[in-house]
Amino acid sequence: MDKENIRNFCIIAHIDHGKSTLADRLLELTGTISERDMTTQVLDSMDLERERGVTIKASAVRMEYQAADGQTYVLNLIDTPGHVDFSYEVSRALAACEGAVLVVDASQGIEAQTLANLYLALEADLDIVPVVNKIDMPLARADEVSMELADLLGGGLDDVLLVSAKAGTNAQAVLEAVVQRVPPPAGDASAPLRALIFDSHYDSYKGVVAYVRVVDGEVLKGRALHLMATDVRTEPVEIGTFSPAMHPTGRLGVGEVGYIATGLKSVQECRVGDTLTYATGPAVDLLPGYRPVKPMVFAGIYPTEAEDYNALRDALEKLRLNDASLVFEPETSQALQFGFRCGFLGLFHMEIVQERLEREYDLDLIATAPSVAYQVVTTQGDLLEVSSPADLPDPEGIAEILEPWMEVQVFTPSDYIGPIMELMTRRRAEVGATEYLDPQRIILHYRMPLAEMIIDLHDRLKSATRGYASLDYTFEGYRPGKLLKLDILVNKDPVDALALIVHRDKVYEKGAALVEKMREVIPRQQFAVPIQAAIGGRIIARATVKALRKDVLSKCYGGDVTRKRKLLERQKAGKRRMKQFGEVVIPQDAFLAVLKLEE
Amino acid sequence: MQLTQHDRFGSARPLVAPNHPTAVYVHVPFCRARCAYCDFATTAGLEHLIPAYVAAVCREIEAAGARWGRLRVPTLYIGGGTPSLVPPADLEQLLDALRAAFRLADDAEVTLEANPGTLAPPYLAHLRDLGVNRLSLGVQSAHAGELQMLGRIHTWAQAVEAVSAACAAGFDNLSLDLIYGLPRQALQRWEETLRAALALAPQHLSLYALTVETGTPLAGRIARGTLPPPDDDLAADMVELAEALLAEAGYFHYEISNWARSDQRLADRGWQIPPDILSETVSPFVCRHNLVYWRNAPYLGFGAGAASWFGGERWVNVDHPQTYIDRIATGASPVAETEHIPRPLEMGETMMMGLRLAEGVSDARFRARFGASLEAVCAKALGQLSRRGLLSWDGRAARLTAQGRLLGNQVFAHFLPPLDR
Repeated sequence: MDKENIRNFCIIAHIDHGKSTLADRLLELTGTISERDMTTQVLDSMDLERERGVTIKASAVRMEYQAADGQTYVLNLIDTPGHVDFSYEVSRALAACEGAVLVVDASQGIEAQTLANLYLALEADLDIVPVVNKIDMPLARADEVSMELADLLGGGLDDVLLVSAKAGTNAQAVLEAVVQRVPPPAGDASAPLRALIFDSHYDSYKGVVAYVRVVDGEVLKGRALHLMATDVRTEPVEIGTFSPAMHPTGRLGVGEVGYIATGLKSVQECRVGDTLTYATGPAVDLLPGYRPVKPMVFAGIYPTEAEDYNALRDALEKLRLNDASLVFEPETSQALQFGFRCGFLGLFHMEIVQERLEREYDLDLIATAPSVAYQVVTTQGDLLEVSSPADLPDPEGIAEILEPWMEVQVFTPSDYIGPIMELMTRRRAEVGATEYLDPQRIILHYRMPLAEMIIDLHDRLKSATRGYASLDYTFEGYRPGKLLKLDILVNKDPVDALALIVHRDKVYEKGAALVEKMREVIPRQQFAVPIQAAIGGRIIARATVKALRKDVLSKCYGGDVTRKRKLLERQKAGKRRMKQFGEVVIPQDAFLAVLKLEE
Repeated sequence: MQLTQHDRFGSARPLVAPNHPTAVYVHVPFCRARCAYCDFATTAGLEHLIPAYVAAVCREIEAAGARWGRLRVPTLYIGGGTPSLVPPADLEQLLDALRAAFRLADDAEVTLEANPGTLAPPYLAHLRDLGVNRLSLGVQSAHAGELQMLGRIHTWAQAVEAVSAACAAGFDNLSLDLIYGLPRQALQRWEETLRAALALAPQHLSLYALTVETGTPLAGRIARGTLPPPDDDLAADMVELAEALLAEAGYFHYEISNWARSDQRLADRGWQIPPDILSETVSPFVCRHNLVYWRNAPYLGFGAGAASWFGGERWVNVDHPQTYIDRIATGASPVAETEHIPRPLEMGETMMMGLRLAEGVSDARFRARFGASLEAVCAKALGQLSRRGLLSWDGRAARLTAQGRLLGNQVFAHFLPPLDR
């Protein structure tokens, strides 16, 4: 295919603004998938994605389209992950495109993610096709939202397409706009091969399948390849395009999008953002923008039953086959025994991994409260990375603790400045500039510690603004902080897995709230159980789980035996999902109590 | 009619020996009004079905008699619902059928549950004539507001009247049901109810903690916040108060929720009693029928929703009276569900039920039944629970301690699946 007739584009949108539905319509219109074969939202292939209505894994589909000008075009639709945890993956998918269809819900309007993705798209130099979707919804304000979009992009109102992806209204116009407004790929067909990896998945027959955009040169089957950043050499097994199933072609020309089955055994060797070239006659420079994966949020994951340890390790290894951002290493806890310290891109990523472990691998797990990675400067002058509060050295050995800070943008109607300011400053945020997009809509800039964000900031923000505000963030850097380790003692014994790192100004408040919350979630047992919060051996807060006095079936006669027995069996099975510490059982909720504190 | 379920399994396991006594229960699922807390197999407003229902129960009884040969029946219990809604003629038909199908002992304990609002003297006389020798009266509370909250159709005055009418009719074995742990019920209110009940000097008392069952009107009111949920700690105080008051009044606490009047001074003996509750030296008023359940001995249940435990299986009939009538009428089995109870589970159930009794579970009886000692089967649970002070185990019998009686579920669970690995 002549590269003049290739268009590489993506669709960017805030969650639920209709990206997947629009993609489905385009696939139908181009006959890539017949309406009959269409399970709604083809691009989101994992159940979990469909349930949550978000896209986790990017994919790419090649469509052939006969345009109004009579020519046939190849349109490569590259799907992008829809969550802020995956912003690096988004940036690499965008780098594989020349254009982006920007979808905005006609009733919701522009949101923080819309903007964040738009800025990423503009940074990647993409041409934008603005689309207002869901124009047939009762609360649609298509005209108003079109104006906002036109203002934002500095284009004319005529450039904005009004679409109902669900009903199919004006979907054809989107294809025409892609052909007319998105430029064909640049790139030098005669230069040494450079192909950008923007995603990958693991196939048990073909090994790691890299999703690539050929930037320069062409890939031909039969020649050894070299991954430049990871310095790995491989003989490709198969080369082809997605239509949307894998379709071998043996070749990908300049500007084309497709896949290379690398035969590699691990996605860790095939990093998103890396550049593929030939092993002989290679390119000199990596494509710009490569960044190694850096997990931001850490948590311990433990099997409820010690004997499930191996099953958990196997499951994590299987997940890692397809998830290059998941890192884990064995960890031992006095309280929870053997498990893994896992690193995630963000809280959302953590939730997905935990849910998949429990659902797909049928494991009962206990997860500890999420933590960020601290840098600890010891009095000896060493620098330690500590991602588990339990690993923090004794206070005497610590010269300084540094914590990660983030740059945060909150996009909101201006009515909610007050509550947002209150929420953010309570969480140690530094207030930055306020940008007016128009008189009603603003972007608030903050800098704040990541540790203050990973605990339900997003939910709090949504509830403080009736769901209107949205946020986006990027890593700023490490800064020193006045941080202390808060120990939690259950029945007088410290439980290492419950320890937290807390800012000095908040330690009393947090300790008191935490022991109170734990009192609520730890079930009453035969004896009273004291719960204490302590700093370096000094108790700063305490609560008591009262002894259970009465727990007995009052009536138990012939007709009751089966039912009452099953009731007791259920209770007992429920208790097995808790951890036993000496005489005390502690449920999973207690480990996450810190996530559920009132502010 | 054929009870095919039993035929199918009957050959696989030896049935209970024909001479082994078998208790019989008959369920009467009709009430004038449903109580606010009730989730039993009962219906209100279907009393017109009673004659057809009784006829159907008689057919089920006849079939069982034919199936197993006239089993010896030492106790009969007619429960509900409100059995006292059944007219004398229908009751007579029922008892005739039972006597024809089984060998009802001359000294059999024959209990009928009655709502105090339904008992008139002539009816009581009929009951005596039919051989009913024990009445269980659901009087529940001496407090008008509480009776109303519970949705009871009678007053305390009617309860008092019913007791004296029953005595006048010649009943000398009366049991009263009381309920405690009600929303807003203060300890003192409970004491008033207890004292009012004791003033009637019943031979037997059953004290039940209110259980808020899902789907009942009471559960709805609590969920909506118009009633506070019951306070379990207060309920524990109420049990302790009742234990003290009843011991003082000469009642023998022989099961978690049941007391029998004794001529002996029991106050200082408390829960520790001879190995066999039935020894007359303790009390002649222990409910022999319910004892069959707690000892996990066999029983047959007839009627809608009735459960049976016989020959290694437990089965339960369909709940709704109309469905039950239709099944019997078409010759179909009334059984809704049958559960085969394997030995280890039977042991667990024997513990779960037997530990409810003051006599506990004796090693001798356990050994005779299962061919293995208690120690061999559940040494770990016995040890753990003894250490926790919930159980006493002296090598001959396992019994709940005072704290174990309040935390019985924690004890029972130890003997049930999922068994500790």
